[in-house]
Amino acid sequence: MNGPHSSGPSTEAAFQPLVDALLVGDHKLAAAVAQHLIEQGCSREQVVTDGLEHAMGLLDDKCTVESFNLLEIMLVGRAVSAVVRVLYPDGYAPTEGRATFVIATLEGDVHDLGKNIVRMVLAGKGFRVVDLGRDCPVDDLVGAAQREGAAAVLVSGLISPVVSQVRKLRPALRACGLAHVPVVAGGAALKQLRPEALDVDYVAENAFDGAHYLERHVSGAPTT
Amino acid sequence: MNSLERILRATRLEPVDRTPLVPQLFGHAAVCAGLSLRDYLHDGEALAHAQIRARERYRTDAVFAFLDFGVEAEALGAQLSFGDDRYPDVVGCVLGADDDPARLRLPEPASAGRMPVCLRALRTMRQRLGDSALVAGAVAGPMTASAQLYGIENALFLAIDDPPRLAAALDFSTRLAIRYGLAQLDAGAHAVIVFDPAASPAVVPPGFFREFLAPRLGRVLAALRGGGAAFTWLNIAGPTAGILDCYAHIGADVATFDYYLSAAEASRLLPRTCLAGNLKSLDFLDAAPDVVKREARGLVAAFGGRGGFLLSSGCEIPPEAAAGNIAAMAAALNED
Ligand code: B12
Repeated sequence: MNGPHSSGPSTEAAFQPLVDALLVGDHKLAAAVAQHLIEQGCSREQVVTDGLEHAMGLLDDKCTVESFNLLEIMLVGRAVSAVVRVLYPDGYAPTEGRATFVIATLEGDVHDLGKNIVRMVLAGKGFRVVDLGRDCPVDDLVGAAQREGAAAVLVSGLISPVVSQVRKLRPALRACGLAHVPVVAGGAALKQLRPEALDVDYVAENAFDGAHYLERHVSGAPTT
Repeated sequence: MNSLERILRATRLEPVDRTPLVPQLFGHAAVCAGLSLRDYLHDGEALAHAQIRARERYRTDAVFAFLDFGVEAEALGAQLSFGDDRYPDVVGCVLGADDDPARLRLPEPASAGRMPVCLRALRTMRQRLGDSALVAGAVAGPMTASAQLYGIENALFLAIDDPPRLAAALDFSTRLAIRYGLAQLDAGAHAVIVFDPAASPAVVPPGFFREFLAPRLGRVLAALRGGGAAFTWLNIAGPTAGILDCYAHIGADVATFDYYLSAAEASRLLPRTCLAGNLKSLDFLDAAPDVVKREARGLVAAFGGRGGFLLSSGCEIPPEAAAGNIAAMAAALNED
C-alpha cells in the first residue's frame, strides 16, 4: 500500500521498485535500482525524497514501540546506506541534506548498534549525519557540532557511566556559543531517565520517535 | 546453612533460611578495593581478593570470576582497548565480514590472552572459600562470542546473507564456551554462568533464538553439567519475555531475568526453574536506598510462596554504583 504522495502517479510508479527493494532490505538491488534511476535522468534529490524518504515513512508507520524488529530495520538501513553511497559517494555534502546532526556514543560505552540505526534512519529521511563513532569524548562531540553547523546533537547511551557525561553536554555547548542547539538522547540507559535529569531537550524511546522530534525541530514546528 | 548450601537449595526450589543474596557485582568489587578496572581485569589474584572483600562488605552469598566480554575474542587474537575505569572494547575484530570461522583454532585456556587471569582468580577464591560460598565462573554464550569475533553488525547481517557461515561461527563459539567453561570448573568454580547478552530479544527475534541459539546454549549447559558443575545458570539481559519459557528445555537450573519482566511473569514462564533478578541496574546509581530496599523486599515477598529465587540485579550492578544502595538490598533480607 502506498501512502499519500506529492509527485503524481507516474513518479510513484517509477520509484516503486526502489521503495520495494529498500523495504525488503535488499541492498544490492536497491543500489542497482537507484543507479538506474539516476541514469534515466532522475535527480539525486528526487531519489532521496520519492525513494528513501517514502520507504522510511512506510517503515516508520510499521514500527511501533511494541513491534520493532531490529534485524529488519538494520537490513533496510543497510540498503539505505547503499543507495546514499550511489547518490553521494562522499556522503551528503553539508549543503545537501535537510539538516546536519552529529551523533556519538560517549567515552567508555562500546554499544553502537542503536546509534547506527538512528544514523541510518535519519539518512533515509534525507538528513546528513556526522557519526563520531563510539567511546567519544564530550569535547570531540561539541567540537564537531560547531564545525559541522549541527542542527542538533544526538547521544546514544547504553551504560550508566555515560549519564554524567551527557549532563556536561549542554554547558559545553553553551560555552561554545551553541546554547540554541538541542540535545537529543536515546539508548537503554538514557531512556530510563527524564530529559530534566539528563539536562537534554528530548529523550527518544526509539529511532523513529527521535526522528519525529528532529523533523519537528528542523521544520520549526512545536516540539512538545 | 552456609552461603553455598543456601544457593544450592534455592536452585532445587527447596526451603532456605533466607533468600540468597547474589547481586551481579563484578567491576564494582574493583572500585571497593581501590583498584582500577584495568588492573582488576589483568590480575587474577587481585580480582579474587577484591571479590572476597566485596562479599564480606555486603554479606553476599557468592563471588564471581567475571572479567568482560572481550576475553574470548582476545584469546583468539582480537585487539582490545582498555581504560582505567571502563570495560574494554574490541578494536580489531578477529574475523572480517567475509572470513570463514573454520580458520580459527580453539584457544588453550591455560595460556590464551586473559583466560589464565580468570582461572587464577577461581583457584584463589576456591582455596579461600572452599565450599562456604558459591564460587562462580563466567563464559560468553555463542551469540555474544560470535558477535565479538565478527563485530555485532556483521554477525547479524550474516544471519541473512550467509546463514551457514553464522551457524559455523555459532558452533565454534559453542565449543569455545565449553572448553573455557570446563577449564573454569577444573580451576575450582562450583558453577559457570553463561552470559549471552547478544541473544537478547533486544537484539535478535525470539524465533531466531529458538532455532539457532537455544540448541547451542543447551549443548553448553549440558557439557558444563557433565564437567561437574553444581548447577547451570543462563543469564540474558533485556526484554526476555519471548524466550524465557525455553530456558527449561535448554537445561538451565537458574535463569536471570531483567527488570523488563515482573516476578509474576517470570514465574509463570518458568514455574520449576530457580529465578535470579531483577533489580534495575540503574537504580543502584541514582535511586534512593529506600527505593532499592522496597523493591528488594517486594521481590522476596513475591517469591515467598514458591521459593527458587536468588535476590539479584537483572544485569551487572554498575562499577560506580552507590554503596548505600547495595547495602540497602542486603538490608532488605536481614529484616525478614
Ligand atoms: C548487545 C549488548 C552488548 C554487546 C554490544 C555490542 C555493540 N557493538 O553494540 C556487548 C556484548 C559487547 C555488550 C557489552 C557490555 N554490556 Co551490554 N548489552 C547489550 C544488550 C543486550 C543490547 C543492546 C543493544 O544493542 N540493543 C539494540 C539497540 C538497537 O537498542 P538501543 O541501543 O536501545 O537503540 C534503540 C533505541 O534506544 C534508540 N536509540 C539508541 N540511541 C539513541 C540515540 C538517539 C539520539 C535516539 C534518537 C535514539 C536512540 O534507537 C535504537 C533503535 O530504536 C543490552 C540489554 C538491553 N536490553 O539493552 C545490554 C546492556 C546495554 N549492557 C550492559 C552492560 C553492563 C554491558 C557491559 C558493561 C558488561 C561488562 N561487564 O562487560 C559491557 C560494556 C562494555 C562497555 N565498555 O561499554 C547493561 C548496561 C547496564 C547499565 N545501565 O549500565 C545492559 C543495559 C544490560 C542491562 N539490562 O542492564 N553488551
